[in-house]
Amino acid sequence: MQTSPPDNGGYMIAAYLIVGVVILGYALSLLRRARTALRRE
Amino acid sequence: MTPTPENAAATIRRGLLLSTVGLLGLALVYLLAHRFTPIEVRQGLAQKIFYVHAPAAWAAMLAFALVGVCGGLYLWLRDPRLDLFAEASAEVGLVFGLIMLTTGPIWGKPIWGTWWTWDARLTLTLLLVFLFVGYRALRGALSDPAERARYSAVVGILGLMLVPFVHLSVYLFRTLHPQPVLLKPSAPSMPAPMLRTLLTSIAVFTLLYVGFAMTRYGLGLMREARGAADAD
Repeated sequence: MQTSPPDNGGYMIAAYLIVGVVILGYALSLLRRARTALRRE
Repeated sequence: MTPTPENAAATIRRGLLLSTVGLLGLALVYLLAHRFTPIEVRQGLAQKIFYVHAPAAWAAMLAFALVGVCGGLYLWLRDPRLDLFAEASAEVGLVFGLIMLTTGPIWGKPIWGTWWTWDARLTLTLLLVFLFVGYRALRGALSDPAERARYSAVVGILGLMLVPFVHLSVYLFRTLHPQPVLLKPSAPSMPAPMLRTLLTSIAVFTLLYVGFAMTRYGLGLMREARGAADAD
């Protein structure tokens, strides 16, 4: 009978890293486009 | 009604503000998930992927559904702002779709023993994302704004019709994918600390969706305002 959780923390770290990179990357892309648009206002 | 650059700028600024709050919320979700949520005994730390995978899936489905709703309303009211919002929602939906489609397999490998399986939920989700990639390609291929809005609205409505099938696919077909823990007729099937983290994450991803979509919508408004000013 299994008493301790399986050792698979690497998958969790990879998933959270991807989420952070995708969300931050998109936010920065929006920010760059917004700054260009607002500068021309 | 033609948008003015001032309205567009105000929308962009509001969107950026909400996005910033959403990003701070995401940091809170990371903290909650790692420090204040227990480790599930059978799945281990990989179970915590659920706290970003399910909210990203929720945000993607919300975004894709709203593309269809705005498309339907556009065909009825012919208000170009609805088309602009649909365009924004589709782009943001693809961002959350990308998260959904990458974090799912990362959870699947340690839990199912495989990165991917062609079962109903996964396949339908992939098709939905492909449909919205096609939606974006269609928008890029059509230069006449009215024609682009009309054709895009039809594709958006088709996407909206697919969303309930994606959600119900775990009931309609034999599938490996876990059944919903929240969006179901009975009470949530999760311990309270896990449910708190999940609900917080859903709220944060919804806020991120609103912030991103509003910013992107504002950028569309600005493009239209400038186009109208250049035409005058």
